[in-house]
Amino acid sequence: MKRFWLAIFALAIASPAQAQDKLVISIWGGSWRDLVAETVAKKFTAETGVPVEFITGGTIDRLNKEKLAKGNPESDITFTTSHVGWLYANDGLFEQLDLAKIPNAKNLADEARISPFHLGAWAYVYTIGYRADLLGDVKFDSWNDLWKPELKGKIAGPDFDPSHIIAVAAILSGSDAAHWEKGQDKLKALKPNFKAFYTNDANSQQLLASGETPVQIVLSMNAYYMIGQGVPITLVIPKEGAVLGVDTVAIMKGSKKAELAYKFINILYDPEIQAEIAKLKKGSPAVLNAKIDPEIAKLPGVFTTAAQWKQQINIDAKLRAEKTAEWRKWFAENIMN
Amino acid sequence: MLCAFGFLLALAAVLQFSLRAYVPGSLDPGGFTLANFTDLLKPLYARVFFDTVVICFLTAVSTLIVGYPLAYALVRTQSAVIKSVVLVIVVTPLFLGEVVRTYSWIIVLGNNGFINSVLLNLGIIRQPVQFMFTTFGVVVALVHVTMPVMVIMLAAGLSHIDRDYQRAAESLGAGPIRVFLTVTLPLSMPGVVAGVTTAFAWTFSAFATPQLIGGGRVNMISNLVYQLGFSSFNFPFAASLCVAGLALTIVVLSALRLVARPLENIGPH
Repeated sequence: MKRFWLAIFALAIASPAQAQDKLVISIWGGSWRDLVAETVAKKFTAETGVPVEFITGGTIDRLNKEKLAKGNPESDITFTTSHVGWLYANDGLFEQLDLAKIPNAKNLADEARISPFHLGAWAYVYTIGYRADLLGDVKFDSWNDLWKPELKGKIAGPDFDPSHIIAVAAILSGSDAAHWEKGQDKLKALKPNFKAFYTNDANSQQLLASGETPVQIVLSMNAYYMIGQGVPITLVIPKEGAVLGVDTVAIMKGSKKAELAYKFINILYDPEIQAEIAKLKKGSPAVLNAKIDPEIAKLPGVFTTAAQWKQQINIDAKLRAEKTAEWRKWFAENIMN
Repeated sequence: MLCAFGFLLALAAVLQFSLRAYVPGSLDPGGFTLANFTDLLKPLYARVFFDTVVICFLTAVSTLIVGYPLAYALVRTQSAVIKSVVLVIVVTPLFLGEVVRTYSWIIVLGNNGFINSVLLNLGIIRQPVQFMFTTFGVVVALVHVTMPVMVIMLAAGLSHIDRDYQRAAESLGAGPIRVFLTVTLPLSMPGVVAGVTTAFAWTFSAFATPQLIGGGRVNMISNLVYQLGFSSFNFPFAASLCVAGLALTIVVLSALRLVARPLENIGPH
């Protein structure tokens, strides 16, 4: 009997120790989780022997959970979009990063250095994607082409974030995202061309695949996924540039495994891992020294040089975090309804 | 009791959030303000609130029209086959999530969907009819979502009707239509009222169906909560929309109850 209780005691103290020997990553579910699991996490576990566990969920769900768990985070590392990262940072949920512990970060593109708290993990663009088979002769060289009368009732854009088209309208009106009001009239003129607004990636894919909205302001990675599924989509980078999007990585404040987290992030910026990510998602590596397959490198929205990054429309992530609610409200009141 | 306390706490949290200011770029709300509620007076929000009530009303009435024959067949038929078929039609939607059901309707209602393909192939139309992103499309899909609840309510009401009343009417020379209109229908009113009220309240909280079928062009209150609150982190404004939506539901359901009370009294006692 004494031996039995000793065994129970040993198990009781052994289990928490095992639970601590893992790195917990918070990320979106589905292909995003798989992307990190198959690339960074695999190499991290091979090098350190530490398993990686994933907590998956939507952007807002994960943000709310971490806010509630402030000081005792559920995860050690969080992947989120650059402007949402600022909400974490402003609320004191992210650790300030010590770049000396992430040597591979020296190769990061300038646009991927979002803040002292979060750095770009990979990038993509929101740009014009269209079904040439359904549109005939319509060509897209400039964002201005979206305003063509023949596109009346043919366009879809994301309903969750109008920042891309708001920034574009401001630029076409001779302004920028910070002074977006100057683009309001331009944007109102686009209203007749909008047919619908998609609510998530699956909805975007369905609307393009069915031809319901043959033109979309679309996430490049999403478009490439659909092209891979046989949907004949043409993706273009307008002469003004596409709207850059950066997904970021950060260490949660209060993480007891910060050192492991730094190792993980350093592996994320390994040029080979970045090349692998670019290949799997057809997105842009965050570092400039990744050796990308030429077939991937030539795709619109994949950047391999600093000059390519700079040619895109880059909405400041902090500005976007502060303005999203205002933009979203204006868009709902004036364009969607 | 504990659950009720939990719900009350959650409601209190929503209420206090609705009275706080939104601070751009921050997750924490600011000081107390009524600005969120004054914003709701803008025409857009009044229109979405009105549209929500109209969509709920259309859905409840359409579900009643579709559900009544099914509930009647379910209760009155002697045939086990018909009963099983009706049961499958009625119960199957309950086993599918709202999102799956809604995606099925996208396939049916789309420009290249089932209905348009059939109409085009039969030469009835030359151009696809726009069902998606319209109130009609949203109501059709919501009727499917709401139907099981309606049929269950109606079947319960119909099964309480004493068949002797109908037999008595028949023995006095009334035909089947007259028996239905003067005996069965009035006696089934408690079920009808319960079904319509439940369908109305059920539809009020619909989210995925108007979100996907409406495509941002047909919006209900829940869609506004998502669009303006959650997707842009303006939780105080989202909370004020929730509070206003809840108040509107209470007002509309109370009014419905008041109007329906005389009808309920017609039912069997």
